[in-house]
Amino acid sequence: MSDKRTASVAQLRKVAKVGDAASSALQTVLRPARNLGFPYRRPSRPKGVVMPPEKNTLGSDFDTAWARKAPARAARSVITRGPMAAMVKAIANPEVEGLDRLHDLLEQDPLPAVIFAPNHHSHVDTPLIISVMPTEFRKKLVIAAAADYFFDTRVKGTLSALALNAFPIEREVTTRKSSDELRRLIDTGWSLVIYPEGGRSPDGWGQEFKGGAAYLSGRTGVPVVPVFIDGTGSIYGKGMKRPKPGATKVVFGSPLWPEDGENTRRFNARIEAAVTALGDEALTDFWTARKNAAAGANPKLTGPEYNSWRRQWALAEHRKLGKAGQRRRQRRRWPDLG
Amino acid sequence: MPRPGFVHEVDRSTPPVLFWRGENFSLEKLPVGRSRVIYPPEPLPAIKDIDGAIRHALLNPHDQDPLPALLFPGMKLTIAFDDVSLPLPKMRRPDIRQRVIEAVLDLVAAAGVDDVHIIAALGLHRRMHEYELRHALGDRVYDAFHPRGMLYQHDAEDHDNLTIIGTTDHGEVLEINKRAADSDLVIYVNINSVSMDGGWKSITTGLASYRCLSHHHTGETLQNTKSLMGHREHSALHKSIWRLGKVLRDHGPKLFQIESTLNTDMFPEQFSFINKREWEWTAKDRATYLGVTKGLNMLPVKARRKMFHDIQSPHQMTSVQAGETSAVHEITLAKVFEQQLVPVEGQTDILTLGIPFVSPYNPDSVMNPVLVMCMGLGYLFNMYRNKPLVREGGVIIMTHPTYRDFNPVHHPSYIDFFEQVLTDTTDPVVMGQKWEKQYAEDEWYRHLYRTGNAYHGVHPFYAWYWGAHGQQHAGKVIIVGGDAPTVRRLGFTPASTMDDAFEIASDVVGRTPTISHLHVPSLLVADVQ
Amino acid sequence: MSRLVFSRKPARFAAARLAGTLMPGRGASVGPLSLEPDETLPLPSPEWLRLRPRLAGICGSDLATVDGTASAYFDPLVSYPFTPGHEVVADVVGTDRRVVVVPVLSCITRGISPVCHACEHGHIHLCERVAFGHIEPGLQTGFCESTGGGWSHEMLAHPSQLVDVPADLSDEAAVMVEPMACAVHAAQRYTGKETVIIGAGTLGLLTLAAITATRDRERTGPVVVTARYPDQKRLAKELGADVVCSTDELPRWVRSATGSLVFGDQLTCGAPHVIDCVGSSESLQQSLQVVAPGGEVQVVGMPGNVHLELTSLWHRETAIRGCYAYRRPDFDTALELVRRFDLGRLVSATYSLKDYTDAIGHAAHAGRRGAVKIAFDMRSN
Repeated sequence: MSDKRTASVAQLRKVAKVGDAASSALQTVLRPARNLGFPYRRPSRPKGVVMPPEKNTLGSDFDTAWARKAPARAARSVITRGPMAAMVKAIANPEVEGLDRLHDLLEQDPLPAVIFAPNHHSHVDTPLIISVMPTEFRKKLVIAAAADYFFDTRVKGTLSALALNAFPIEREVTTRKSSDELRRLIDTGWSLVIYPEGGRSPDGWGQEFKGGAAYLSGRTGVPVVPVFIDGTGSIYGKGMKRPKPGATKVVFGSPLWPEDGENTRRFNARIEAAVTALGDEALTDFWTARKNAAAGANPKLTGPEYNSWRRQWALAEHRKLGKAGQRRRQRRRWPDLG
Repeated sequence: MPRPGFVHEVDRSTPPVLFWRGENFSLEKLPVGRSRVIYPPEPLPAIKDIDGAIRHALLNPHDQDPLPALLFPGMKLTIAFDDVSLPLPKMRRPDIRQRVIEAVLDLVAAAGVDDVHIIAALGLHRRMHEYELRHALGDRVYDAFHPRGMLYQHDAEDHDNLTIIGTTDHGEVLEINKRAADSDLVIYVNINSVSMDGGWKSITTGLASYRCLSHHHTGETLQNTKSLMGHREHSALHKSIWRLGKVLRDHGPKLFQIESTLNTDMFPEQFSFINKREWEWTAKDRATYLGVTKGLNMLPVKARRKMFHDIQSPHQMTSVQAGETSAVHEITLAKVFEQQLVPVEGQTDILTLGIPFVSPYNPDSVMNPVLVMCMGLGYLFNMYRNKPLVREGGVIIMTHPTYRDFNPVHHPSYIDFFEQVLTDTTDPVVMGQKWEKQYAEDEWYRHLYRTGNAYHGVHPFYAWYWGAHGQQHAGKVIIVGGDAPTVRRLGFTPASTMDDAFEIASDVVGRTPTISHLHVPSLLVADVQ
Repeated sequence: MSRLVFSRKPARFAAARLAGTLMPGRGASVGPLSLEPDETLPLPSPEWLRLRPRLAGICGSDLATVDGTASAYFDPLVSYPFTPGHEVVADVVGTDRRVVVVPVLSCITRGISPVCHACEHGHIHLCERVAFGHIEPGLQTGFCESTGGGWSHEMLAHPSQLVDVPADLSDEAAVMVEPMACAVHAAQRYTGKETVIIGAGTLGLLTLAAITATRDRERTGPVVVTARYPDQKRLAKELGADVVCSTDELPRWVRSATGSLVFGDQLTCGAPHVIDCVGSSESLQQSLQVVAPGGEVQVVGMPGNVHLELTSLWHRETAIRGCYAYRRPDFDTALELVRRFDLGRLVSATYSLKDYTDAIGHAAHAGRRGAVKIAFDMRSN
């Protein structure tokens, strides 16, 4: 006991010594500048003046235009192909289906913009969908990301914008500004990933779809591609401390266009139904899913109506059916008992 | 705007012309002043919204109620589709059959129909491999139907699952797949590459038994099929099939035929020179040609074959129509001819043909000598309307390596046919009388056809019969660049170069024959006036 | 006057074996075979007669001996130095008899009395005293020091070994009588069902002729013959084969002729009777592949040391049965068949003894060079 303590004290001393040396070195270097004032320093504020409110550059006001310029795109391409792809392969091992449904879009010249509308369970979803989608779309892709989560600090915002080409939007009420900016991006050929659920699932079951994707599609005329992602919830769901590698499945659906006279609400319902049907397809098969869809009997992604433990219980059953049920064998480690 | 096909008279400035040579190409100089090259029309533009067009066709059929009106819960529905022999080369995914069947299944699901079987209408062709079924139908349909035994392949030897529908006034018995016959509705999903296909031929051959096919797949019938690709009235084969079709319409299950046509955009960008006229080859095309041909020469034949059979063609749908079989087929034919027809003036003494690496009977397999005959005299020779490009008694010159090589998995009976039958006779009628029965009833071939991936034992005969008319029509057939003993066994004459071939031909057609060259790659039907 | 002599010279024997393996027939020039002046052999007993050979054929077993590839099994059955040649047509010295020699040396020729059980019943080829008696050991005339052999101008024979040649039969036809007798012996096991003859050399063709002579083509199963060279194929057709094919085509022909299925390489049915006139590992293995369950592979060609996978023999209860030589009456049938099929035409070329290397070279490549039987011609001097 006493041995340990003496050892830690000795360590502290060592650290302090190194700190002293560093600060004295720094002082030596900075000494010539010590007496420099404005313009080398921030101006002091005179008395009695009213300062204009400081411009907010965080949250939904975070400027991400630089992330869509060539240098950032080149860097992102490297990130996506290298570390991100490796990470996705290692922890999510995705199986992809339904890419053939995008064939006709890919044949078009120029490549049309597309709004991908996946369900959302995990932070893994974004890297996952980026790494499995056709490269053509990936080259010009923006991710709609929650302003309050991804852009709350400068470092986090910068990294999100660089690595994912995230674009800040509000979860609940989309402001005029961000929606206009998104429409402008779509009109210039940028495809978009937007999670219509508005955020990761809090309990493992899906949430109601919000109208963002349907609205943007209605305004711009580009198709919405419903996507179902299975298995990420149990890999790195909301509230999990560290990821637990497993298998996932991504199913792309046929592109949907708003029909004549269809309002955003109805179109949104159609998108939700399409993702729900894909969810059924991922767990069963195409034919079963089509029959259920025709009968309105696809199992709902939002889970059973009832609450309490039964809902959680049903979730476990539901996950066993999907990709998460085929969890890769975890390496067992014996506890270190000293 | 794609340009129509045309006939080019070879002059002194005409560059050498492209020929297929199996898994390679060659450029051949044709004699000036008396040769003509028949160029195919350029590919028509594909439909923009294919899925929309399919849906429209299903909801607005010809001479038939819309598909949803034909569906009711509790019904027995069978969907049959064309097998791996179409299209050639295989098209990029998604295949047309997948698109059509998925669209059909959407309507079927909405109508609450549960009893759906999907059957590969392969007649006596080989069973498709899993990867081929997945390619044709897509993974979704395969994964949903195959594990439940609701997607399978027609078996012309499964006598428990065949049933007789009726007999024509010529005594031909129509015997087809029992499941289809017992269905409340049969939906046939077709791809029409050439005008020979489709119509009543779809079901009456694709889902038929050997007994049923043996009425019209004979040496005599094919010798009397003077227009396989052109007019039905001049085709004994099609007349017989149309008689069977009438029996099917009157006594068979209710039918809903879906036919589609393809454009001739058959080769991907790497082979850009294929679809171009030689004088329009750019520096890049020429470099590609040289690179490809020289490179291929250095590869072993297996690698070459693999390379070509791996090609996924960019051809795409130009029309889709559904409804009553005859009504639909007329529209289909018009569409096929719109893409493929080239008007040509008169016949010539010699017809030259380049034989490609693939025929309808060897997708992903070896183009064996029997198939070389079938492709040359059966398919390419027959690519005419009214009358053949070569006069009766003229000479047909083909270019192909014609190696003695077979795929033992797909073509076991072809090997025996080549060794046993062709050493005895090359006459379709004689071999039909003397040998056909033994091959058709051989238990081992039957076993391989039913459980493996082999063509039916009798199929080499059918492949040979296909060329019966050409064989009878031509005074001499020469193969340039083929393995000599093999070519001789086919009853043809080997020549080492095109000049030699013309020299050999002069015995039959004199010193200054007129020559037509059918410019395949790409497809065309010569409308010979 | 000269003779060819095969002596026991181990170094030359090894050289012949090497040369013969590299190039069949080359053993003649480097091996223990040499041309030597004739030597008058003493008669083993007063009954024996002196013969002057007219024509003497070169047989497959002779080639194996010359090339040093024959099995060591024969070593105790021969006596060195010997003069080869057992397909002989000769004049009997001091008479005007023209005879064919029955080369098998039985108890009677060896002066063994009483004769053994086999010889007593006429099975001279199965003689139980095969290499014993008052002459030097020798399987047949042509492998025995005491009797001399056909590749010479003088040899000895016991009167029981002589078969008179009718005057109308040419020497060429007569020289085919001895191999034909082998074929007649082989064809005695013909069943009338599907039959396969592997190899269309002299023995294959003669066996085919012997079978053709006994069968009714309409009522018997097809006879399938494998042949390698065009002339062999033509002759096989002429001599009555229903199917002539190459070796690699054989299993497919047998399969379709017998309506067989296939597992692995093995046919499920097959031909009840397969006659192997080659005797190599490959030909025997193929025989087992195409023989019907419970059927018989008859080995007519001399096999030597072969390597075989015999599981199918065990599993399908097939038999491999040897077929050596003949009995005396077979020669009468042979004479008749040689005349009937005009087999003298199979003698493709004759050489004088001094050209023996060319002769043996020709015989070793007979098929490729369009020949069947090569013989030495001693008639000129």
